[in-house]
Amino acid sequence: MTLVQGMLLKNVLLIDPSRQLEYQGDLRVQGNTIVEEGKSLSSQSNEDLIDGTGMWVVPGLIDMHTHMRDLGQRDKEDLHSGTKAAAAGGFTTVIAMANTEPPLDGGAIFAMYLQRIRERAVVDVLPVACVTKGMRGEELTNMVELSEAGAIAFSDDGVTIQNMAVLRRALEYVQLTGKLIISHAEDQDMVEGGVINEGFVSTRMGLPGRPAAAEAIAVARELELVRMTNSPYHFTHLSTARAVELIRQAKRDGLPVTADATPHHLSLSTDAIVEFDTHLKMNPPLRDEQDKQAIIAGLIDGTIDAIATDHAPHTRLDKSGMFAECPVGIIGLETAFAISSKALLNKLGRLKFFALFTINPARILDLPEPSLQRNSPASFAVIDPERIWTYDPLEGFSRSRNTPYAREQFKGKVVMTVHKGNRVYEDSAFKERRERVGTHEG
Amino acid sequence: MKAPSLATTKWRNEAQLTENATILEDLIAEKCDQDEFTPRIAQVKGKIMSEQTVTAEASASRLEAFTRAFNRGRQHWRTRQHLLDTDDLTPGELASITDVATEAKKILKAGDAPLSVLHTRTIATAFYENSTRTRSSFELAARRLGATLLNLDVASSSVVKGETIIDTSKTLLSMGVQALIQRHSASGSARQMARELGDRLHLINAGDGWNAHPTQALLDYFTMSEVRGSLNGAKIAIVGDLKHSRVARSNIRLLTRCGAMVHTAGPPTLTPIDLGKMGVIVHSKVEPAIENADFVMVLRIQLERQKQGLIPSIGEYRRLYRIDSARMRLAKPEARVLHPGPMNRDVEISDELAECSEKSLITTQVTNGVAVRMAVLYLLLGE
Repeated sequence: MTLVQGMLLKNVLLIDPSRQLEYQGDLRVQGNTIVEEGKSLSSQSNEDLIDGTGMWVVPGLIDMHTHMRDLGQRDKEDLHSGTKAAAAGGFTTVIAMANTEPPLDGGAIFAMYLQRIRERAVVDVLPVACVTKGMRGEELTNMVELSEAGAIAFSDDGVTIQNMAVLRRALEYVQLTGKLIISHAEDQDMVEGGVINEGFVSTRMGLPGRPAAAEAIAVARELELVRMTNSPYHFTHLSTARAVELIRQAKRDGLPVTADATPHHLSLSTDAIVEFDTHLKMNPPLRDEQDKQAIIAGLIDGTIDAIATDHAPHTRLDKSGMFAECPVGIIGLETAFAISSKALLNKLGRLKFFALFTINPARILDLPEPSLQRNSPASFAVIDPERIWTYDPLEGFSRSRNTPYAREQFKGKVVMTVHKGNRVYEDSAFKERRERVGTHEG
Repeated sequence: MKAPSLATTKWRNEAQLTENATILEDLIAEKCDQDEFTPRIAQVKGKIMSEQTVTAEASASRLEAFTRAFNRGRQHWRTRQHLLDTDDLTPGELASITDVATEAKKILKAGDAPLSVLHTRTIATAFYENSTRTRSSFELAARRLGATLLNLDVASSSVVKGETIIDTSKTLLSMGVQALIQRHSASGSARQMARELGDRLHLINAGDGWNAHPTQALLDYFTMSEVRGSLNGAKIAIVGDLKHSRVARSNIRLLTRCGAMVHTAGPPTLTPIDLGKMGVIVHSKVEPAIENADFVMVLRIQLERQKQGLIPSIGEYRRLYRIDSARMRLAKPEARVLHPGPMNRDVEISDELAECSEKSLITTQVTNGVAVRMAVLYLLLGE
């Protein structure tokens, strides 16, 4: 991580969803701020000149759903390795879920987590706090205290609050904070120990299934509570066609609901699950092809507002257990852009596509909108849209390697990430090119 | 070929001889007149010696047939490393199991002494889930072939101390075990283990969760083939808890490939979704499934399914799905019934049907189980 004293990015495509603006131009950074943008800026002596011909520059991406672990699970990930992985994916802000070990359900542990963030993180980490103590779905946490301490939102992600009276109280009480609740919506009784989507694949492999209806049922009843309380509510990692349809209708009805989906749910379906590969076990599970298509359609028509990774690191040992018994989830920060762009970039166009990673999550979470405008923080990602590359998790920054995308070839790669003026990630080939050209011109 | 077979038959005849001699000695002791009996002893000894020769020759020819069957089959098995399920067995592999198992069964029936065809092999069993018959059956099969057998006592093993099953297998591998017979409650455990171990060891799946139990399916196939010959076109009904049954899945995969028409029947709550896509005709009522069937395979119903809310009561289950002589009348007159065991008599199968020797193949299945497992072990491990 090096502080950029001064930097001039020349001949890049500036893509700024906050202004619905994209144009070929230059961007000048001094210290931690974007000081100038425009066409044909002239180079100054005290700055690095980077020829960015063919590159895109986008405001730093936001990931609304990550598991940064740390605390008692540093063997899976810590706030340094996790944020390094985020930086490699072009993210300068990540939302960290509260199901840490122990969970972030009280002022003391929350303060300790914030301290770890200050000491270890290389990009912004905004932690979520639990809705209920111990995520047991019974008693509310001190939401106001946690909000004042800096909780960005509240969520018992990983489990669903099963008792609707408890969730109702949470939705009422959270109004004192002005924050929103993020829901992992899946009826726990219906799930009954299921490990993959219930369907032909679970039948064939003899695995207990999680029915798609479990998600739709939870979404439907939670929407009724939103209707009742009018509290802002966010559904994370939608995976089924029915849930998308319910949320589409709720938005039409004017309910304050938003939603995100993961890169894996828009790129893989149950058909991908072969031979008990534990890297294809996630929660919610991969669903059928028609569900996958519904997620994509939801992202295109705006029913789903954002893409979030649900980055869920687990050690090799965790994932080498038996399929039915091992923990759920995959890492996703370093591949999020590449996977999502393959499925969506052509359909959405650049501005709408990057909105899913920038202004949309910012609006949902009430954060300043990432922008490339003059005087904005110098937080942005440089992307080489033509770069063909093969993903190797062994070369990644996450402490864990649990991904089904190992050895997958992608087009388009984040090659440099700058966070508040700090170069927090740089692709080696890009660095080589920058230094060669820089020396030549300097 | 002759020499080892004589050596092995010697064991049995020596035992007989010793027994007869003891009886004679007792008689002698009673009469206290040794002279009178000495010629008689010689006479009996002579008779035994001639019987021994006849027995040895018959036994040797059975062994020879067994070995010949193996030699015919081994070409089909040369590339096979593991037996994980029935879905990837080639017709050649399947035919050679039948071939070798047929000869193995003759050896078992005759009560021949254990062979020594696998005397250089070490086989371990690791049953992480309770089993009596499958484990005993494998154990007998391995001993009958002369293999060294190691039974991992899971209850007192390091698994209880927190070792992963992969480490347990690697430990066995390092000790020189050539084959591992594994049962585990997690579906896919055999396949995952095979992926870890690669070609360093032969893995035989003795049951993984709800997924597969290939030797059970093979012995069922063998048993039905003995009765009917080819199963092509046969109607086979599988009745009971299909959702949780590895026996059902392995049988479906095998029997559909053999051209059998497989019909299933079970409560909707115990029938997994989209089962029909496995190539079977799914019924919720038992009658259409067994109507005109050649074979009816009854699955075990776990009594805890009631507590899980999957069936309202054992009584209702019995009323709707129990296979008994009355229901068997819907099937073909010559139809036979199978059960993988252990049975809940008078729950999924009536006591009288289970005991009916004309209808029930259940005890044959058990005998055939040893023969089929001998065939599998020999074909995988033989030289």
